[in-house]
Amino acid sequence: MGWLNAVVQGILLGGLYALFATGLSLMFGVMRIVNLAHGDLAVVASFLALALVGGTGLPLWVVLVVTVPLFALLGYLTQRVLLQRSLAAGPLATLLVTFGLSIVLQNVLLEIFSADTRTLDGGAFATGSFELSGAISVGYLSLTTFVLAGAVLIGIQLFLSRTGLGRMLRASSDDAETARLMGADSRHVYGIATAIAFATVALAGLMFAIRSSFDPSIGPSRLIFAFEAVVIGGLGSLWGTLLGGMVLGITQSLSAQADPALTLLAGHLVFLAVLAFRPQGLLAGRTA
Amino acid sequence: MSDTSTGGLNRRSFLRAAAALGGTSLVGACGGLKGTGGSSSDVLKIGYVSPQTGPLAGFATADNFVVKQIQEALRNGFTAGGVKRRIEIVVKDTQSNANRATEVTRQLINSDKVDLIVGSSTPDTTNPVADQCEANGIPNVTTIAPWEAWFHGRGGKDGEGFTYTTLFFFGMKEFADCFFPMWDRMGVTGKNVAALWPNDTDANAFRQGLGPMMKKSGYTPVDGGAYQNGATDFTAQIAAFKEAEAELFTCAPIPPDFQTFWKQARQQGFRPKLATVAKVMLFPSEAEALGDLTDNIATDFWWSPAHPYASTLDGRSAKQLADDFAAATGKQWTQALGSVYSLFEIAVQAFKEADDPKDRDEVAAKLRGMKIECMSGKLDFTAGPQPGIAIQHPVGGQWRKGERFPWDVVIVDNSANKDVPVGGDLLPTNP
Repeated sequence: MGWLNAVVQGILLGGLYALFATGLSLMFGVMRIVNLAHGDLAVVASFLALALVGGTGLPLWVVLVVTVPLFALLGYLTQRVLLQRSLAAGPLATLLVTFGLSIVLQNVLLEIFSADTRTLDGGAFATGSFELSGAISVGYLSLTTFVLAGAVLIGIQLFLSRTGLGRMLRASSDDAETARLMGADSRHVYGIATAIAFATVALAGLMFAIRSSFDPSIGPSRLIFAFEAVVIGGLGSLWGTLLGGMVLGITQSLSAQADPALTLLAGHLVFLAVLAFRPQGLLAGRTA
Repeated sequence: MSDTSTGGLNRRSFLRAAAALGGTSLVGACGGLKGTGGSSSDVLKIGYVSPQTGPLAGFATADNFVVKQIQEALRNGFTAGGVKRRIEIVVKDTQSNANRATEVTRQLINSDKVDLIVGSSTPDTTNPVADQCEANGIPNVTTIAPWEAWFHGRGGKDGEGFTYTTLFFFGMKEFADCFFPMWDRMGVTGKNVAALWPNDTDANAFRQGLGPMMKKSGYTPVDGGAYQNGATDFTAQIAAFKEAEAELFTCAPIPPDFQTFWKQARQQGFRPKLATVAKVMLFPSEAEALGDLTDNIATDFWWSPAHPYASTLDGRSAKQLADDFAAATGKQWTQALGSVYSLFEIAVQAFKEADDPKDRDEVAAKLRGMKIECMSGKLDFTAGPQPGIAIQHPVGGQWRKGERFPWDVVIVDNSANKDVPVGGDLLPTNP
């Protein structure tokens, strides 16, 4: 029963990882940008929500609904103002820009909010659960996160395959030059992609914040899980990201069942094994 | 604070660091000849090293306030070695990084030419700072690090200790003295104690130190396993604790992990009767972050406004100091407030006791032999488990809903230190 519980919790945890990794996957898939500030952006979203809750007194779910579109807008602007400029200078430049952004964000947060550990208080929702059987209890929050992850991925998938903008996005991703010749404004398209990525990272950051806690310096340690989920699943593949997140989650929780000392190591080893033996990831071939 | 050195490595600081590297060996060579160094004026310089930014910054919340209080209290100077002395305090930030702690301590020694260095908070600060001071012959006192980590972690020899470096805090035995009486009072049927100890220096010290002590006192530690810090899922540990039907809980994780664990424990139905935690829930910010789940979590308190101690500098009581801090900053007191304050009390006391406060060997000897009743209570550096260590005796306190601030501490068990008055009953964490 313990093992079954570990698998269930691992799958749910995988949903969180996948949600978190979606934005990273999307930005890499479309623009070849490895966003090193990804983890910090999640933390920024958490602090933004915290400030909104404190400042307006609105209930948490309203704040969540406000924060995500706000972040999408921020994503669009970041792409147009900051990342687009560095894209022209090659992949190394964007890497450095996002790295710099990561450090700037951490220190700005530290300056404004101090180093205190914070959390978004989800109340009964965050700690409530229902029992599947004696040994397995499923948290409302984990389940919601998992469902959200699935919904977000399906939504993005539909957007990419069914809408004109989505097709343009895929075209720009495959061959930006030719897409531009066909009348696609790659800057706008890239902006949209970043907006979606930012919205998902905000959502993931908020879920993380309700689930555990956050402080200005915790971003990079979260980034690792997103990276691993993306690489295990396959670079740029959205469904691969979901699969990667779940593989990572289940590996971690199963190995913890055997010996808690192995938890993170086992995840890293799976990641390494995929890199060594199947570098294109479990689900190769890009859909984004 | 204008004299705080931060920022990256520019040309000037590179040159300074290079000079520092070269200077170290020179100072080391002279140190053997005579203990006198530094500037010859009547100004006594104290260097203060602490993690003001980064993950450990919670420990340093009160630093600015304390430095100001010390400067204020010593505004008119004091007499040491027959001469009127002024005090100057140079503050350095470790950015919560042990390498950076080493670097800024070198700067204090070689560029600022301080006469004494104090430092606080976690072995990541105290150990590198003390190592530099020991190597360069600078008198030094640090605090807020388990003495085992500070002493054994630096290769201290049994019964001999160090020449220039001293520490006041406590260790595993004091944790046991603080926690066990509370466990005894809970009247639990099973004697299994759930223990969440990750794989890091602090928690391994608990595993090797507190574990055997628990067995000796009739409790059985249920070790959740040496997981790695930064874990996001504690299903396995919670399952193990539930299976052992542990009614008591103790831990030494990093703060973000505890927040995750405690929420998940509630979610998955692990409700220990009493939680006595170490290393976490030391600060009001953590209690606030955990929300309603904070209620009646117990931890060790080595300093609180309820402690009947007073300043050696201006006679102010612990309660007064906490109130002044709240008035000046709008923030709630933290335990580090009393400890950091005492660092400076001890430094000033050593200067006063020495015939020549500029003689580093003499000041260091005064530190090692110091007996003082200060903001941190009675500290005796000659009576510790090893030379140069003064032991504090923390008492048990529980977080309860407060009036002025969201969460406040009520001292519930003073078995380990009868001087501290009990403020309320011990209540179960999960009734």
